[in-house]
Amino acid sequence: MIPAARMRTGIAGLDKMLHGGFVPGRPYIVSGPPGAGKTILAMQFLREGLEGGERCLFVCLEEPPNELKINMRAFRWNLDDLDVLDANSDIRRFEPTPLLEISTEEEPAKMRSIGERIRKTPDFESKEVSVHSLQQLLKTLLVKKHYERVVIDSMTALRYFCMREFEEAVTTQSFMRYLAESKVTSLLTVELPDESEVLAEAFLARGEVRLHKLRDETGIKRFVSVEKYKGSSHDDAVYSFDITNAGIAINMTPRAPTAS
Amino acid sequence: MDRVKTGIVGLDTMLNGGFLPARPYVISGPTGSGKTVLIAHFLLEGLRLQEPCLLVTLDEPPIEVKSNMATFGWNMDRLKILDATPDVRAHKRQRSVIDVGTSLDVRDMEDVTDIRQSSQVRALEVTVHSVQKMIKQEFSQHLERTKQRYKRIAVDSMTALKMFSMEGQDSRILIQSFLRFLAELEATTLIVSERLDRKKLETEFFLGRGEIRMHKWIDGNMIRHAISIDKFRGSAFDDKMHPVTIGDKGMVVALDAPSQIRGTSPEGKPGESLLETRLIDEVSNVIESVMRQIEEAHRRQIPIRDVEVALSRAMLAFQRRNYQKAMKIALACDSQLRERIAEAPPPPPVAMPPRPPVIR
Repeated sequence: MIPAARMRTGIAGLDKMLHGGFVPGRPYIVSGPPGAGKTILAMQFLREGLEGGERCLFVCLEEPPNELKINMRAFRWNLDDLDVLDANSDIRRFEPTPLLEISTEEEPAKMRSIGERIRKTPDFESKEVSVHSLQQLLKTLLVKKHYERVVIDSMTALRYFCMREFEEAVTTQSFMRYLAESKVTSLLTVELPDESEVLAEAFLARGEVRLHKLRDETGIKRFVSVEKYKGSSHDDAVYSFDITNAGIAINMTPRAPTAS
Repeated sequence: MDRVKTGIVGLDTMLNGGFLPARPYVISGPTGSGKTVLIAHFLLEGLRLQEPCLLVTLDEPPIEVKSNMATFGWNMDRLKILDATPDVRAHKRQRSVIDVGTSLDVRDMEDVTDIRQSSQVRALEVTVHSVQKMIKQEFSQHLERTKQRYKRIAVDSMTALKMFSMEGQDSRILIQSFLRFLAELEATTLIVSERLDRKKLETEFFLGRGEIRMHKWIDGNMIRHAISIDKFRGSAFDDKMHPVTIGDKGMVVALDAPSQIRGTSPEGKPGESLLETRLIDEVSNVIESVMRQIEEAHRRQIPIRDVEVALSRAMLAFQRRNYQKAMKIALACDSQLRERIAEAPPPPPVAMPPRPPVIR
């Protein structure tokens, strides 16, 4: 088999672990507990694309874009040309009001044009994001803007806030299927509890990069592993990494995590 | 960017200066680990800087918060308190339940003197919706009155809100909306939350822009406390766990010594104690009401011997901490007594003073 051209992740160590990078056109997962560094990893993935002149989209479901912008400032990355789609639902209304589904309204904003302050829920209508409307919107956007890299941050928020509980499994499956069919390389972040078990998304994705967070007497230790990678060989050791001023830096001497 | 100081020197150092402004943060830890003390420091620091501060209390009635703070000798008179503690639940269906939102209760700490008594006819019930409405109303009223926005808000606690105010609804969406609501207020918010299940991912923990975790464990015959930052978006931070002492000046974080948990951690089911306290309150309130009616029945010589026996069974169950059973019996006694008192002949009229002779 002739290896397909790989898509670099923007993190040298991770490219090595993935034996070159991601196979393009497939959905991947980066999972880990809150505060592990998932959003930073995803942003490095997009920054790598931007540097190569690719069109990239970041879909915000967990934090408002203005905060994302402020958070990423410390890394001094040039993200001006990144498209950011604000898919955070507004404050919910308790009394029935006209709902705006985002598919009709929303357009991604360029990172450079995002302001300092949070968008306010309008007084008489609320924007509610459902998985169907988001999917619809992505469909339109992919045709219009030809994105090469898409990040969904996070898949967990999409599950929790944009799907009805009883259809979660089916809808997640169909969303992942949609991403695979759309041939875009996508990276989805998934929140894990402190003590985790296997996730449905991990079965459906073509690969999973897992971030681990452990606490010992010297502080928080972070580790990264490739849990699964379809269609490619990969490094199955666990490596430690640090979040530095330049983003995630993987320390390539393998060392197994030891829980405290 | 300016940081929002917590008022605890060691913690501010750990946070690289303080919180990033206008974002919601989570304070987690088991009961008695110092969460409420931490938010008190945070609010006190705000007051010191002349910032308007609001405490939304769902767990403890304001008077208890006040007396707890008084033990540290802190003057928090200018703190606004929004009392969102639910009333004694009305167990009878016909009593109308009103949302707290319709009767706003925000007071200066200075004016808190007594616990709010549950109304005899209507019980206040707290829902996320009503809490949101109350905060919003207070926000706009405060802005009108003083031309100032609230800078710091503390919500104590999310656990209570989840347990008592989100029954039968999709709590994940309600929490998302509540956090969005807090973020749009553009005040720095601390949300107290107990981590109920380590295997479950609770919404506020991944939506919160940071998490400060309080630790408490037993080491030999000592209870030890420690603090750590487990998540802090958009900032570097000290990721070590540091020992904490809570003394008469409040909370002190010792930065020079890292801390390590030895011995047994009581973090098993932190939610339990909160539920238990709430249940005890409810049962004892019903029992008290039954006892008052028994007195009344005695005065009017209504036979109620069987009810008294039943009540003693309820008390026994209560003592054995079988609260469900105690509640069931006490409620049955309550309705029996009401019936009998209603059916009994009206009390003999009080002897009337002789009428003055009518003069023609």
